[in-house]
Parts: sequence; structure tokens; C-alpha cells
Amino acid sequence: MSSAVSTEPLLHRGFRQISGPRFRSRTLGRPPPPAASLSCAPKSLFRHARRSCGSGPRRGGGGAAALRARASSSGAAVLEALESTDVLFEEAFPLQRTEAVEGKIFVRLDRGKGDQNWQLTVGCTLPGKWILHWGISHVDDVGSEWDQPPAEMRPPGSIPIKDYAIETPLQKSSMTMDGDEFYEVNISIESNSDIAAINFVLKDEESGSWYQHRGRDFKVPLMDSLRGDSNIVGAKRGFDLWPGTLGQLSNILLKGKASEYKDKEASSDLEVSKQKVQCLEGFYEELAIVKAISIQNSVNVSVKICPKTAKTLVYLETDLPGDVIVHWGVCRDDSKKWEIPAAPYPPETKIFKNKALRTLLQSKEKGNGFWGLFALDEEFVGFLFVLKLKEDVWLNCMGEDFYIPVSSTRSPSLLRQKESDSTEISGKTAETNTEVSSTAYTDGIINEIRNLVSDISSEKSRKMKTKEAQESILQEIEKLAAEAYSIFRSSLPTFSEEAVLEPEVPVPPPHICSGTGTGFEILCQGFNWESHKSGRWYHELKEKASQLASLGFTVLWLPPPTDSVSPEGYMPRDLYNLNSRYGNIEELKDLVKKFHEVNIRVLGDVVLNHRCAQHKNQNGIWNIFGGRLNWDDRAVVADDPHFQGRGNKSSGDNFHAAPNIDHSQDFVRKDLKEWLCWLRSEIGYDGWRLDFVRGFWGGYVKDYLDASEPYFAVGEYWDSLSYTYGEMDHNQDAHRQRIIDWINATNGTAGAFDVTTKGILHAALERREYWRLSDQKGKPPGVVGWWPSRAVTFIENHDTGSTQGHWRFPSGKEMQGYAYILTHPGTPAVFYDHVFSHYQSEIASLISLRNRNKIHCRSTIKVTKAERDVYAAIIDEKVAMKIGPGYYEPQSGPQKWSAVLEGRDYKVWEAS
Amino acid sequence: MEVSVIGSSQAKILKTDLACRELGLLSFKNGSGVFWRKSKISFGQSSGLRNSGVRLTLKAVQTEAIRPQKISRRQSRHGVRLYVGLPLDAVSSCNVVNHAKAIAVGLKALKLLGVEGVELPIWWGIVEKEAMGKYDWSGYLALVEMVHKVGLKLHVSLCFHGSKHAKIPLPEWVIKIGEQNPSIFFTDRAGQQYKECLSLAVDEIPVLEGKTPVEVYNDFCESFKSSFSSFIGSTINGISMGLGPDSELRYPSHQGLSRSGKVPGVGEFQCYDKSMLALLKEHGETTGNPLWGLGGPHDAPAYDASPSSNSFFKDHGGSWESPYGDYFLSWYSNLLVRHADRLLSLASSAFGDSEVAICGKVPLVHQWYKTRSHPAELTAGFYNTQNRDGYEAIAEMFARHSCKMILPGMDLSDEGQLQEGLSSPEQLLGQIWSACKKHGVEVSGENSSDTIARGGFEQIRKHLSGEDVAHSFFYQRMGAYFFSPEHFPSFTQFVRSMKQPQMHADDLLSDEEEAEEPVAVTSESGIQMQTA
Repeated sequence: MSSAVSTEPLLHRGFRQISGPRFRSRTLGRPPPPAASLSCAPKSLFRHARRSCGSGPRRGGGGAAALRARASSSGAAVLEALESTDVLFEEAFPLQRTEAVEGKIFVRLDRGKGDQNWQLTVGCTLPGKWILHWGISHVDDVGSEWDQPPAEMRPPGSIPIKDYAIETPLQKSSMTMDGDEFYEVNISIESNSDIAAINFVLKDEESGSWYQHRGRDFKVPLMDSLRGDSNIVGAKRGFDLWPGTLGQLSNILLKGKASEYKDKEASSDLEVSKQKVQCLEGFYEELAIVKAISIQNSVNVSVKICPKTAKTLVYLETDLPGDVIVHWGVCRDDSKKWEIPAAPYPPETKIFKNKALRTLLQSKEKGNGFWGLFALDEEFVGFLFVLKLKEDVWLNCMGEDFYIPVSSTRSPSLLRQKESDSTEISGKTAETNTEVSSTAYTDGIINEIRNLVSDISSEKSRKMKTKEAQESILQEIEKLAAEAYSIFRSSLPTFSEEAVLEPEVPVPPPHICSGTGTGFEILCQGFNWESHKSGRWYHELKEKASQLASLGFTVLWLPPPTDSVSPEGYMPRDLYNLNSRYGNIEELKDLVKKFHEVNIRVLGDVVLNHRCAQHKNQNGIWNIFGGRLNWDDRAVVADDPHFQGRGNKSSGDNFHAAPNIDHSQDFVRKDLKEWLCWLRSEIGYDGWRLDFVRGFWGGYVKDYLDASEPYFAVGEYWDSLSYTYGEMDHNQDAHRQRIIDWINATNGTAGAFDVTTKGILHAALERREYWRLSDQKGKPPGVVGWWPSRAVTFIENHDTGSTQGHWRFPSGKEMQGYAYILTHPGTPAVFYDHVFSHYQSEIASLISLRNRNKIHCRSTIKVTKAERDVYAAIIDEKVAMKIGPGYYEPQSGPQKWSAVLEGRDYKVWEAS
Repeated sequence: MEVSVIGSSQAKILKTDLACRELGLLSFKNGSGVFWRKSKISFGQSSGLRNSGVRLTLKAVQTEAIRPQKISRRQSRHGVRLYVGLPLDAVSSCNVVNHAKAIAVGLKALKLLGVEGVELPIWWGIVEKEAMGKYDWSGYLALVEMVHKVGLKLHVSLCFHGSKHAKIPLPEWVIKIGEQNPSIFFTDRAGQQYKECLSLAVDEIPVLEGKTPVEVYNDFCESFKSSFSSFIGSTINGISMGLGPDSELRYPSHQGLSRSGKVPGVGEFQCYDKSMLALLKEHGETTGNPLWGLGGPHDAPAYDASPSSNSFFKDHGGSWESPYGDYFLSWYSNLLVRHADRLLSLASSAFGDSEVAICGKVPLVHQWYKTRSHPAELTAGFYNTQNRDGYEAIAEMFARHSCKMILPGMDLSDEGQLQEGLSSPEQLLGQIWSACKKHGVEVSGENSSDTIARGGFEQIRKHLSGEDVAHSFFYQRMGAYFFSPEHFPSFTQFVRSMKQPQMHADDLLSDEEEAEEPVAVTSESGIQMQTA
């Protein structure tokens, strides 16, 4: 079992590597597929074994070539004998490392087919999951906001991001550039359209990095270049401050005027690095970039006994590039205490500080890779090593030294045992079911921590410590505490409560964390994109209060309440004016009161990222605010030139349609905190749904939440999932990691919508790829798999569904989605449109099942099946569920299962 | 030509870092523990991390996506080790581990949380229960083994007192002796005895079957030492010597009477047992004031009375300022110091050669601190008034034996006290702490009671992140409440908040001399990027 765990990712990546770009770098040739290196091991073993048993080691460093010749000439005779010897141990370990590679981004505009057609090409020569995040500006746009291009401009595989941008993955080009492969995307443009410019940034999904053009979006003006002359300067009002070498095409990449002086400084440098290839009327431009990429290599280790000398032979083979040094030692028992064996040593070996040996690996005769052979006396039980690359880069085995059991009396199961521990550490508890093994699990974690922290002498790297492990530790602590509590409580004190020593000790209130509420919350989104239209939404919703309560919801999310430029409320203007298209402030208070009466908490939808101005500044720019918070342009971030903010640069992404608020300003934060507290006390809101939190740093959110002390808070951190060739990747770890990073930045004070889960459900249901619902560790693949208590799972909201339909859940399969989120850990959120639809009774049954079985945000989950057409899981050992058309029945063991709910392609069982 | 990178998610190591923060996992390097800093600072650090993804260079022909920078390892501050007290009745009076399962689970939770260790009270009344010299360590050995297995450190408190609270009395044979000879116990003016510990006046009188209490204590320590020799210096890294009632160095000036809800009174002097009176008489004679040696102050108020209810403690013109007052108080407090001196000297000779920290606990008698006479301190044996520093001598004595001082009450704030009580835990703590600092005595903190008041964690954090660095902190104490949903999450948060800065520093130590850490671009606003 264990070896499967460690090699599976390797194989998986290895496979991808063949088809994909992931492993390419300039310094590293394509490593052989793992299967190849595994199969070649015995042969090489023979060759080197022979040499080592003979005179090899004593010769020292010089004679490698000669030795090799000897070995290959005399080998055949012993070949059979050796091959019949049992391989004591054989294993391929994956090695992960990062390497900086240089490359370039290029932008090319050239004529397409026909006069009216132009083609913009953006490419990158580095491997990565490159995404072009782009939008257009129209001719008559005054502001700086992006618009989405017309549908015919969007290359295949594009996804809309809200209503202002498109994300398009770059594809591997069929051509090469200077012999390198590269990735590109082509956008064709009709020059008779009214598009003035294309704006973009390049995103690397793999690393989560965004590449901009000197701190600004890339901007390719089309109007002017398309109209014949390439001289774009002065062609358009608003752009006439463009700096740099006027008239040169190089200047076509532009930035806003706010940082004009910087451009001038830099312009001389630009000339040096640019290789301009001027096309007739188009242009071509390259930008150098450096990226740290993660590279997967492997090391194969096999152990045999030399029949002649009875020594143990450890053969090591790796596809790592460059000079690889094996830093090694041996041990006599399980303590894995490093020891230096007696000479002879392999060639190129040095003793390092009397603690270890360092052997330089030999390069293979053919192809890539290096090998080393170590002959050990029988008395040793294990061979310990780490690998050292040239630049002080160390590689180890999942945070530990590599440990290879070499004693012939010991079976390879030893290593398996050890590895199964580490597997458990990374959160794979699914198989453990008895108390004993759960204890072992904890011990595993403790060992892990101990190893993590205590051993300085062996070069340990913490980089391998995975998020999942952290998560399981966190959950483990919670679980342990709960267990300890229950025992302590039941074996109640042998001493009386009489003696509280200090007078007047106030008992703290029950702990409710704003990231989770009680942990048993079920959210209802109480509006859709049309709700503003009647003008009396608060009234209408009020009438539904008791119904929502009886359905089992505990939290209701109300629409943004403030005065807003857009009727839906997401373009707020005067924050203290709570008369909106949904109703006036009195009606709102009344509504909140009503919900409180039926025991439903109410979330206010607060838009903190941006705010619409009420007045223009002296340049005619809308950046002076009105109302009680009459901020000026110091409250606006500086990096959106269209609003001429005088604040600092944004701490997140920009929302381009309105001035983005600079949360780094103390006065802004103070005002917002006051506002939130006012909303709490005046309206009675219990918590927040935070709009567009990608736009500013999560630490500020923490600040706001600390000040306003909500009962529950959830943030909308919505960005694109990872796609390769237009197809969603199985592994969305980078995506969920970004959401988790945000939650982390808020210090866990807020949850976040689990966009990852929604996206994966899309792919799984739409394409019948239910296997996607299990990640590589057999856990749920969304945020809910890593940090369930902070994941607010949903399948639809006012943006994705409703009448906007930016990213609609696969139609007709909504109930499968709800069967998933309403039985799983996390805090589920149900969309208004679904509550009041023909799904209502099914949703109600699922909610009541959830409540009946006390499933909560930290419930345990065991994925029992994840195949092409069916996914099944058991939650808290009390509820079993499946979705998909395929067959599944939970196995009766200690529990007896009885089916309680069944609908189209889903079924739920309860244990009895 | 350059390309900038924004909003890059951190390199892997950083994610780990963040995750660690979240968990508050604690790593101990070279035995150093937590780096305490204000939580504000750690907030700022996160800001740096978040934005560390930005680095643009002027000459940039190319832009790098955030290369980690080498930062040399520096340990700027001494760490604070966090210990959680095990239940007082962790080992029952019949010498078995109580709720072993709960403790085992609890220990794991604590280990995962990253605390340094646990504190274990070892009771005289349990180990040497039946007869003098008949020690039974089995329950404690089992418990120590459990702690050892989990990989936590252990601080043991040797308790030479009994506890009504935990229903743990003194050894049976001692109680029997006390029935025949009640004067081995502290006694008040009215003749009431305090039977939870022996009077310090009999320290060197052979009242226990021909042995003096100090000799008995010493035998106990020696037996402990030999029984636990394999743990001492490794798992067991600290030993507290019980110095009096509730382990604290003081007279039982309230005799353990309940003080619920009310402003506690000043307490009473406990100098009325036979041996004390004898010592007082002798002292009066040797100092030439035989009349002063006949009894305690006649004008001291009763236990629950306020200072002004009689003339001894009156702020102005009270007898405490008279020559008699000074005579009596000097004697009374000096006995306490000499008692501690004896026991600590015993402890340091017993354990001085092992790698353990030896501690004693000094109480925080903060009631009435804002009056001139500090009456509650005076009855408890600390001659600390407006005119005189009573803690200097104690700190000096601790220093002489290289003992650390445990100061409880770190969770108490002045605001949390009743106005009428004229109390000031913060000022008193400050005073004792500075006395310790002056004499080079290391301080360990402790909270005042099992139920931490609102804001208590904040207060602890404040004390521990202040100028003076505490050596360790004892959090009291594990039990049902400790793990309850009302308490445990805030404790977790407390531990994490303490660790945040430390986590950061810890990551700096990941390699031998140098470690990777991202360029932290922190500015006042938190988001200023460096642009070319």
C-alpha cells in the first residue's frame, strides 16, 4: 500500500510530463519515464555490482572508465546468477525540487486573414499553466474598467471572470522558438470593431504568480495600430501622457500616466533587452522573465546481496541533473542513528565532519542520469542518505532522510511500515476504523512533528510538510480535545466546585468563531440577480421567514443594502444610506428582526473592495466620495490610473469598474470598522458576506472582523480553476490553496466560498467524471477537503446562476450538487432560486437529514468510491451517500444502512 | 524590459509557514521555546509575507519571481516555555492514575498544539501516605511514563501541603501526629488550626517521630530523585519545591476560608502555635523587648475585616508604623524567608547536580496593595509596605540558591478587581518582578485560577511580551473545563498567538547557518511595493 502512495504521484506526473510542459527546463533534459528507469535497474545493478565486488572501491576516484570497461566485458557470465538473486528492496522515490529558469513572454500583433482581421499572440517560453487574464476597452470608454470581449473574439477554452474579464489558457504551440517549445494564445480581432485596446496580465496557475508589465496591466492599443499608422501617440485623449520613445512600436506596451517618471527612467534599459522584430504593421516584443519551477525527478534504489562477498549492495540511480552528491551513512538499528561504515568506499567519496560520507555519483554511460553503488557489510540494518545538488540544494524523502533497509533478515515490509506511517500523516485516515489505529495515527503525527522540529543535524527540509498534514493536525487537536472533554466530564471531578479562588470570575460566553459560527450552520442565499426589481424585496422575503426557518436554515444572506450605482447593490456609493432597491432602512430592520424571531441569523453583504464616488476631482475624475464617509482620492488605490487614486497600491486584485478602496489607510479602516459596527448595532446584522475579497489583503479582513465581531463571516474569493488544453485539471490544489491562503490571511476569522468544489462538481457531473471528486489523497478535492470548517460550499449564486449565468451549474444536476454539499463537511449554502423551485422538498429532506445526523462543518468523511460514473462517501460513519448513475451500495459492517433519500442520480443512506 | 509579478502565492515554504502559524505548531530548537511578541507585530509580519511576492529591480533585464533571500540566523530573544498543569488529582489517593484515558488524549492534543510540557503536582499525602519513609511512586511513575512517551517535558511540583480543593490531605501518619500535637500546625489568634500544612516554626524541631519536617522533606526528595533518576534531566526538566499553603511561600493568613464574592479582608497573623509563640518570646527577649514577645498584635482586624476596622493597619497612625509594628513584622516576615531558605537550600542540594530548574512559588497577595500598609501582604508574611520593599530579601534568597520564582496571577488585571478592594495585581507583579530582575532571578508565570476571566489571556500575553522575559509559563490546569468548548478554543488561540512570531523565527532556522526566508516588504501601509 505504502509504496503505491509514494510512487503514484510520480507516475501520475510522469505521465503528464510526457504530454505536457511541466518538466521542461533548459537545464534539464526530459527524464526518462519512470517505468523505464525501474526496469533498467537490475541490469545496471549487475554491472556495477560486479565492479564493486571486485577491485572497484579500492581504486579510488580515478578509474571509473576503466572499471566500466572491465565490468561490461566480464559481466555476462555472472549475469544469470545475479538476476536470480532476490532483490531485497527496490523502490523509486519521487524527488521534487525547484529550479529557476529563464524565459520570455512575447506579444505579437500581426495581420490575419484578410484586411480587417488582425491577430494578437501572447506567448511564453516557460513551462507552466499560463492563463491570459484579459479584457478589452471600448473606443468610447471613459473609465479604465475592462469589458469582456464579444464572444467571437474569445478563443476556445475561455472562461468569463465576473463581467469584466476573460481567462484563456495558453496552449502549447506546435512550433518551436529557438528550439524551445512555447505556449501561446491567439486572439483574432476584427479591426472594424470598436475595440480600442486589449488589456491583459499573464497568470501562472502553477505558481499562482501574476505577471504584469512593470506593475501595470499590459495594454495593446488596437485603434491606432489598426488604422494604418503605428504611431499611437496622441491618438486618443487620455493617453497623451504616454511616456517613452514616441512613435516606436516598442512603446506599444504601455502603462498609465501615474507612474510616468518611472517609465522614463527605465526606458533606456528597455532598449537593451528587447529584440524587436518589426512586422510590417504589427509589432513583436519580448520580455524576459524568470520563474522558479518545480521539477520532478526520481531516485531508484535497489538492494541486493553480492553472492561473492556476501556484502549488501545498494544501487542508486537518479535522473537528477548536474553533480549529485549522496550524503550517506548506515545504521545498525531502528533508531536510524547515522554511522560511518568502514572503508572501502566507492570512488569520489569524502568523509564529512566524521558524521557522514559524501559520494559523488557517476554519470551514466548513456543518456541522462547518475548512479552510485555502495557495498555494505552485513551487520548494518539500514542505509541512510540524502541527496545534495550543486547549489546547496538538498533533497530528502518527504522531510526525512531516505532510509533503505538493507539487512537480509529484514523484509522490505519494514520500509513499507514506515511509509505507511507517513502516509497516514498526510491525512489518509480513511482506512482506519478502530480506536487503535486512530491512536497510531496520532502517534504518527506526533512523530512527524518531532521529526519536524527536533532534528537539526540531519538536513531536514520543511518544505515537504504539506498543507493536508497541517489540516489533519488541526482537526486532530480539535478531536482530541473533544474526546478529553467528554471523558473528564463524565468522570466528573473528584473534588467539588466549591473553591473558585478569585472572586467575581466572569464565565466567558460559549465560543463561537466567526469563521464557522456554531459549526452546524446551513446558509440560505436570500436573493437572486432579479430581486431588486420589485422594489419591495425585504417585504417579500419577510413573508418567507418562517418557511425558511422550517426548512432548517440557520443563516440567511441578504443582498447588499447600501445606496448603489447599480440596482443590485454591488456598486456601493453612500455606505450609510441604506435605502436601496430592495427596500428602505426601516424595512430592512424589520426584516432582520423578523428573521431573528424565527432564529435565523442574518448576514449583510458588504462590499469593501470598491466604492463609487459622488464627485469629480479637479481633473474630472470620479474619485471624491460623498455621504457621511466623504473620503477623497487618498482613499483610492494608486495603481488604477483611471481613478487617479493617491493612496497606496492595492493589496490585491483590482476590480476595474469602480475606485478600489485603499485599505492600508488608517482612516479608511477606522471608518469601515465603524460602519460595520454600526450595521451590527443599527440593523442587527449578525455577520457578513464579504464581496470580492480578492481585491485586498485578508489581514485587513481580519481587522474588520475583529472590530465587528460577527457571528459568521464568509468571503467571496473567486478566481479561475486550472485547465490544461481547455480541460479542467484533476488536481486543483493550487486553486484551493489560493483560497486557503486568503482564509489564512484572515487568521481563520472568515470562511470562504468553496469555488473549487463547485468547479470540480461541474466537471464531474457535466462530463461524467466522478473520479474527480477524490483528490490524490482520497479526500474531497475542494477547499472542503483541506479546511472543511472554513469552507462554505455552494453550487450556485447570483453571479454564477440566476439571470446572469456566468458559470451555471450543470442544468438538471443541481440535486446531485446538493446531495454532495448537504451531506459533506463544510458549511453548505443553498441558493434562493433552488429553495423556491421544484427542488424544495428534496433540499428540505437533505437539510433535515443533515441536522438529524448532526453533520457539521468538521464532520469526518471517507470517500468510498470515486469512479467514472459514481461517487460515494460515508460521513461521520452515520450517513452514506452516492451521486452519479453508477451502482453503489454501502457495505454493512458494524452499521446497517438503510436508504432514506433517493432522487435522480443520487441516494443517501443512514446508519441504524 | 521588465515584467513584474504581483500577488504571487508564496513559495512552498511560506505556505507551510502560514499553515504552521495557523496551527500554532511549535518547534523547539536548541531548547528555546516561544518568542513572545505582541500580536500586532505578527500581524505586520503576515503583511510582509503576503506581499513578499513583489520585487522589481531597477536594472532588471529580467524580473525574478520572488527568490528567497538568505537571512542569517539570529536568536534575539529568550523563549518562554508553556506548561499546562495536569489535574490536581491526576494520581488518586490510592495511587492510580485518575482518568488516564482523558489525560492520554489530552497530552496528545497538547503535544500537537505545541506546548513544551505539563506540570504535575506530586503530593506528599499520596506518596508517603501510610507511614514515614514508605514511599509509593507507582502512580506517578506511570504518569511520567505517559508524558515521556508523548514527548512532552515535565515539571513536577512537590507538594508538602494538603488540598481541600482536590481532597488530598497530608499523609495519614502526619495527621495522626497532629491530632496529638496540634501545635505542629499554623494557629491563629483564636486558636484555630490550619491543617493543610505544617507550621514553619517546627521546620527544625523533631516533631515527626523523631525527625524534623525538613529532614522528612529531604528524605522525600531523595526518594523522588532515585525513583525518577532516569527521567530527571531529560523528561523532567523542572522541580518546584512546595513552600507552604498551596505550595506558596506564605502564611495561611486566610486559613483557606471561603472568600466568595466579597472583597477579601486583610487576613490574620498566624503566629499562635506553640512553637511560633516560643520563637516570638525568645526574639523579644534577645532584642530587649520581652513584653513584645508575649503575643501578636492586639489591634489587628479579623479575617474578613477591612484594614481600617482596627488600628493596626490604619493608613495613618496605624500600629504597623510604630516601633512595635516594625519589630513584629520584621520577625514574622523573617521567619518566612528563613523557612524558604531552608527548603530551597534542601532542594538545590538534592537536585542541584541534575539538569533541572528548581523553582519556588511566591504568591501575588494583591489585595489592599493600594493602601499604605499593604495589610494582606503583612499577614501573609511579606513585610512590604509603602515604606519598605518586602520582596528584595526574598528575591535575594532565591538568587542565592539559583532558584526560579513562579509568580501566579499573571492573568489578573487591575480593572478586573473590585474597586473597594484597593488591590493592584499589576503593580505588585511589577514590583516582585523587578526585585527578581535586580537579583537575577528568573521568573515563571502562572495564571491565578482554573477559570480564566475574560481578558485573562490578553493580560497574560501582555505580561509575557513585556520588557522582562519570563522563563516559562504554567497554565493551570487541565480538566473538564480546560477542554470544554467554552475554554479550549480560546486556549488554542492563545497558544497560537504566542507562537506566531516564533514560528517565523523557527523557519529561519531550518538550515544550519542560513535559512531561507522571503524578502518581507513591510511598510506602514503594509502594501507598498518596490517598483523600479
